Parts: sequence; structure tokens; C-alpha cells
Amino acid sequence: MAEERFENEKLGEEFEPLIVAYCCNWCSYAGADLAGTSRFEYPTNIRIVRIMCTGRVDPTLVLEALRMGADGVLIAGCHPGDCHYQKGNFMMEKRFDYLKKAVKNAGIEPERVRLEWVSASEGGKWAALIREMTEEIKQLGPNPLRRTKAPKRTDATISAFKSQRLRWVVGRSQIKVEIEEEKYRQTVDLIMQDEIERHMIMEALKEKSPLTAEELAQNTGLQPSKIVQHLIALRRDGKINEAGEKNNQYLYQLA
Amino acid sequence: MKQEPRIGVFVCSCGTNIGGVVNVPEVAEYAKTIAHVMHAEHNLYTCSEAGLTTIKESIREHNLNRVVVASCTPRTHEPLFRATCKEAGLNPYLFEMANIREHDSWVHPHEPERATQKAKDIVRMAVAKAILLEPQNEPEVEVKGSSLVIGAGVAGMTAALSMANQGFKVHLIEKEKELGGMAQKLYKLYPTLANASEVVEPLIDDVKSHRNIELATSTTLKEASGYIGNFNAILTGPEGDSELSVGTIIVAPGSSNYTPPKGLYEYGLNDNVITQKELDEKLRKGEIGEPEQIVMIQCVGARKGEIRPTELEAFPKSDTAELLRKILKARKEEGWPYCSKICCMNAIKNAILIKEKSPKTDVVVLFGDLRVYKEYEDFYRKARDLEVRFIRHIEEVRPGISQTPEGKLQVMVYDALSGTEVTFPADWVVLSTPLIPSKDEITLARMLKIPIATDGFLMEAHLKLRPVDTNVDGVFIAGTVSGPKDISESIISGEAAAARASILMGNRKVKTDAITAVVDEELCIGCGLCEEICPYGAPKIEEGKSKVREILCRGCGSCAAECPKRAITMRHYSDGQILTQVKALLTSEGSKEVGQ
Repeated sequence: MAEERFENEKLGEEFEPLIVAYCCNWCSYAGADLAGTSRFEYPTNIRIVRIMCTGRVDPTLVLEALRMGADGVLIAGCHPGDCHYQKGNFMMEKRFDYLKKAVKNAGIEPERVRLEWVSASEGGKWAALIREMTEEIKQLGPNPLRRTKAPKRTDATISAFKSQRLRWVVGRSQIKVEIEEEKYRQTVDLIMQDEIERHMIMEALKEKSPLTAEELAQNTGLQPSKIVQHLIALRRDGKINEAGEKNNQYLYQLA
Repeated sequence: MKQEPRIGVFVCSCGTNIGGVVNVPEVAEYAKTIAHVMHAEHNLYTCSEAGLTTIKESIREHNLNRVVVASCTPRTHEPLFRATCKEAGLNPYLFEMANIREHDSWVHPHEPERATQKAKDIVRMAVAKAILLEPQNEPEVEVKGSSLVIGAGVAGMTAALSMANQGFKVHLIEKEKELGGMAQKLYKLYPTLANASEVVEPLIDDVKSHRNIELATSTTLKEASGYIGNFNAILTGPEGDSELSVGTIIVAPGSSNYTPPKGLYEYGLNDNVITQKELDEKLRKGEIGEPEQIVMIQCVGARKGEIRPTELEAFPKSDTAELLRKILKARKEEGWPYCSKICCMNAIKNAILIKEKSPKTDVVVLFGDLRVYKEYEDFYRKARDLEVRFIRHIEEVRPGISQTPEGKLQVMVYDALSGTEVTFPADWVVLSTPLIPSKDEITLARMLKIPIATDGFLMEAHLKLRPVDTNVDGVFIAGTVSGPKDISESIISGEAAAARASILMGNRKVKTDAITAVVDEELCIGCGLCEEICPYGAPKIEEGKSKVREILCRGCGSCAAECPKRAITMRHYSDGQILTQVKALLTSEGSKEVGQ
């Protein structure tokens, strides 16, 4: 299927994006149903994946879809205050900030990802939204990851969002934290950067090891000083260990 | 051992609803090419008796262990197809639906080729999910034949009596010393002008003497835990704390009356400016006498502004009583956004009472909109016949108040009908104020985890279809806790809540949802994040591991999305089950695995 799509493009046909929509069962899935019942027409580019609540949307579900080549990902849920589970949509909204930054970090235009509220009674809004989003994604062009293998940065971002440290701080933002919200956000951003870079190092070591700090810097494009910092942390966490020396530099490998 | 998936795909034409756009036979033929699909066919109506029979026969004939129906929305037809699978001996959760009507043929009527392509994608995605489906069980729990009713107002007492008369044990608690709630404090009721005591007293007597009702006054709920069928409650009363366990809970604490902030229309500064409720009290005591003029002002503190999203977020889960106090304080200045529904009739009732006693008193009612529904129209006409004057002003231009040099109150209003400013001297100015959410309601909402709606009142599970259910199974609402109601409506809601609770208690057992969170204890580090974010209190850390009490879990999946160790899986909506659909859609690898 996917290949067929690419074939069509090679023949110079107009780019037809594929957009994955994670729709909550209670509002937006029902809103899309109502668009059907009301016979509101919209482009054929959307494929809906039904979930119970936007609260369920782990950032990795979005990042993985983008890595697989989705040209856009829509997360659609209930309006604030209407969540069937009280506050799943608020939780999604909170983590959406971080998700957008992560998407950018992964080398993908953040405009490809949208979070929207569509109620069960908003069939018209659903149709208009899909029309608008399809048009926007057409302007952006195909997801760069569709034909090329995802760069290390993309994989590292996904791994970072699977890592305990980043998930912990993102998760904590859902509940009352004792420090100012803006400060907390900055801390999460820093940790996200850290984790992504550390996973880039690990991805690099997965591909080829052992490597020196200098080689890792070349390999990942990160500053050597940063590399050293991360190597210390990774070693402390037991993720990597030393594997001899080369030109008076330590060599590292995955533990 | 895991069975090799053997999937049957049934593509529905839905007459011409799908078949008129999508090439249904082509989709069915395509389905046959997808790996693990052992059988695929297309039907005119898969949901017809013939269609359902075909599904059952095919399950037997092809030894299918998964079924995919490509037709309409699962929101309406999934239960039917699941039941069909069950009849054929297949676990109902081994069924998946592909929505090619609402999400395809009906929205792409002019693009048949693309719609057909989309239908194939949707079917391929559904098959991919079907491969990973696992059988699920809906846990069954016992329901205790007893109920806790919170609040002994008209609604609570009605509900208690109804359940007690059916033979269920009822624990009725009231925070005040006396029974009767707000109605007990009223003088006369509209539209009959009967004494409120005529309605309330018999209820109180019946409640007090019923052998199935255990009554506790000056008692409040301190703590609640448990789940449908098995709630545990700790009550605080004059004799200390007591514990009880019940099958259902009816929440009927009533509401409060809005008190205008000091200075609004001179309220609190001038003793002759009172609320409608205070007028009621004065009429009962005969303190109004035969004044020359009374002016009533409607919608004081009602139909103003909007509830802000930040307030909503704070309501159900906020740990800070401080924040809630702030919200209530802000509302006191700003007023509440909704129409309180009973104030118009209440004003008319009091106007009639005054006029009947003192016909020469000039009673003027100033309103932006006057809302008298059903038979209350006659009640309004009666007031007109008694020469009560109704003056309409524009909502945006509220009446003003001042004092004459002699110290008498006077109200200025822009009369929308004549287009002129009119001044009415007044011996009394009466403010019609709305019923508002009470602090008790907010406390109970947080304790029982009932969401609060945009108007600040407790939220029904469904505004139209389930008006006395809450989103918490086994907990029901009655009376003005879910919004302003008059006495007859409170009685109706009390009866309704009792009926809903009695169905559960009468059946003695209830099935709960299978879509719940499962914790991998190997991975779990007991950090407690899930416990803190769950709106239902389902996960609990015990011995360093998170234990999800299935019966409390509603299946939203927020905990799974946030678990730092990714130790939580949602039944029927696991990461794998979600991503396999995306993979089937997007990657050649995915479509090879699934299709070819």
C-alpha cells in the first residue's frame, strides 16, 4: 500500500497526504460520526484510530506514527470540561507542549501535529478541521521521513520519551508541583534535551562500538563537552562502560 | 499458547449507504489477500438477521477466532456484533469494527475510487488490530442491598422512602439538626400557594417512622471509598465517627441561595433591601404589612458571565480549599452564568401573596426576561389580573437604586416598552437571586469523584439520557445538587435516583467494564504517579507496587500514557494494538505483514 502511494507520487501526481487521527471515543469519534450522518464532505486523507480518551495518547504514539511516515497526526478530544473521564483532555493538553517540542527535535515540522477539541455535536467543525488540516499538510509537503530512514535524532527522541527520567518529569507536570510552572517547564525542556542527546549517544554506540568521546561527537554532531557530560551520566546509570583506550582516550560501549 | 489468528471479514453494503459509493465487492476481495484472513465476504446488510447468521456460520465453518465487520460506527452496532460473536462461542472482545460508512462513504460520496481505497485501508487497519486482540472478561461484582442517602431534603427523603418501601435498607444522613432541607424553610409553594409544611411534614413523619430507614441528623460524610455495589463510608456525627458499607449512594445535599455582595442594590446597607428568600420569611412572620410600594428585581447574580476553564480544572480535583473559596468569592461579586429557573415563579408567587393580602400595595417586577413555563403561564396571568406590574428592561441596562431626600428607596429602570427611564419609589426592594452550588456539594464531589459541570453543579452522566446517574457507577444524584429545581422536580429526581439505585440492588450483581489498566509488577517501581493522576482512585500503591482495582478503573488510559516505567497496559487499547493500525496504514513492512 505504502509503496503504491509512493509510486503515484513518482508519476508526478499531486501529493495526497495521509493523516492519522487519534480520536477519543466519546466526543471526537462521535463528532466524526455526526459529520457522516450529516453528509458533510471532506477530503479522503484522514484515517481514524479510535481510543477511549486523549488522556491515553502517550507522546510516543504520535512520534512513532510520524517516524512511520504519517504526514500529519491529529489528536482530537472533548472540549475542556467535557471529558468523559473528567480531565484526560487536560492531561493531553499539558503534555502537548512537550510533544510539540519533541517533534521539532526529532527533525519534523511541529505543524504536522495538532490537538483539537471536537464535541459529539460538532460534525461541521470536524469536516472543516479535516479540510483545513489536509490543506495545511499539502502545503508542507510529504513527511521527510516517508522515504528516508529516520535520522538518529528521531529515534533518540522516541527513546527519550520511553525513558523513565523524561516520563517522570512530564508526568509530574500533571499534578501540583511545588515550583513555578514556567520554571518547571524549563526544567522539563532541559531534561528532554539531555535525554535526547544521551539516547543519540546510545544509538551511535548501538550502531558501532566502542567509540571515543571525540568519535561520538563527530558521529552525533554534539559538542565534545556535552558528550563528556553525558558519558559521565550514562556511566553512572550503568548504561555504558569503558572498553579500553584509543589514542590516550577512553573507549565506550553499551553496558 | 497463543492461537494463530484466523480472521473473518464481513463487508457491509448497508443497502446503498456504503455500496453506493464504495466498491464493496472489491473491498471484500482485497480483504481476502490480507494475511490471517481466512474468510471474507460482502453482505447487503451485515446487521440483518441473515447477516448475523452468516457471521455465526462462518465462525464455525472456517474455525474463525477473530471477526472484523466493515460497516458503520461501533458506537451503535458494536454491541450487536459482539453479542453475535458471543453466541457463536467467541469472546466478544475478539471482534473489531471498521467504520466505512460514517467515516467514509457518507463523507466522500463524490470520490468513489478514493473512498474505496480508504475503505481498504480502514479494513487493513482493523485486521491488524484484530490480530492483536485478546479475550477479555467483564468482571461481575455483588451489589449490597443497602443505600446511603446524603441529605434529607425533599429529594433525599423521597429517594430514601422509595428505596425503603421496596425493602432496601437506607441510611439517611442530614448535616442539619432538622430534616426537610430548604423546603422546610419556605413559606408557600407555587403554583398552589399551599404551605410548604403540607408537603414536607408528611415526608418527615414517614421517614422518621420507616423501619427500613436509619436516620442520622447532624451527620456528614467524612470519607468514602469502594466501588459500585460495595461502598464504604465513614460518617461523622454527634457521637463521633461510624462506619458503614452500602451498595449504592444517592447524593442529595441540595444547593445554596446566592447572597448578593454588600452594596449591590444597597443590599446589606439598607434593611429594606432583601432577597426573595428573606421576603418569604417576612411574609411567614407577617412582617411586611401593607406597604405602598414593593419593587422586585429579577436575575440578581444570575445569567452573568461564563465559568472559566481554570475553574473547571480546579473543581473536581483541587486539593486547595483556598482555591475553591476564591472561586466562590469571585462568583459572589460576578454572579453565576445560568438561569436559576425558579426565581420568576417565586417572585410571581410572592407578588400574588402580597396582593391578595394587601390589594392596594403597588407591586412592580423588573425583569430582563420572564420565564414562566408549562402551567405557570396561568400563574403569571393571575398576577397580572391582580395588577402586579411587570416592567421589562434590557438585560444590558440594569436597574439603578438610590434614595430620595426623605430617605425612601427608589429604583430607576429603563422601560424597554416605552423607551423611557421610569422611577419607582419603594418601601421594599426585593432581589430575586439564584440557587447556587453549595460548599457541601463541592466537598462531596471531590470525595466521591463526581465531575462538576460548567455551571458549577454536579454533572449528570448524560444531560438528556441519564439525568440522575453520575459518571461514578453506583452513585446517583437527586434534587438541586445538579441544578435548580422546584419541589415537584426535586421529588421526580428523588424517585428517579431511587429507581436507578434499586435496579442495581434488585439485580444483586452488576457487570463492569473490561477495558481497564493492568500493571506489570516486574516493571513497576511503585512511584505512585498513577495513583496521583487517576481521577477515580483506581491504582493504589501496596507493598511498593501499583495495584489497579479493576472495578474502579474506567479505562481512560491516562496512567498508561504517563507511567514513567511504561509498566501500565490498557486492555483492548495497548500501545501495540494502537500502533499496529498505524503501521498497517503507513509502512510497507506493516502492509506486508498484514497484507501483501
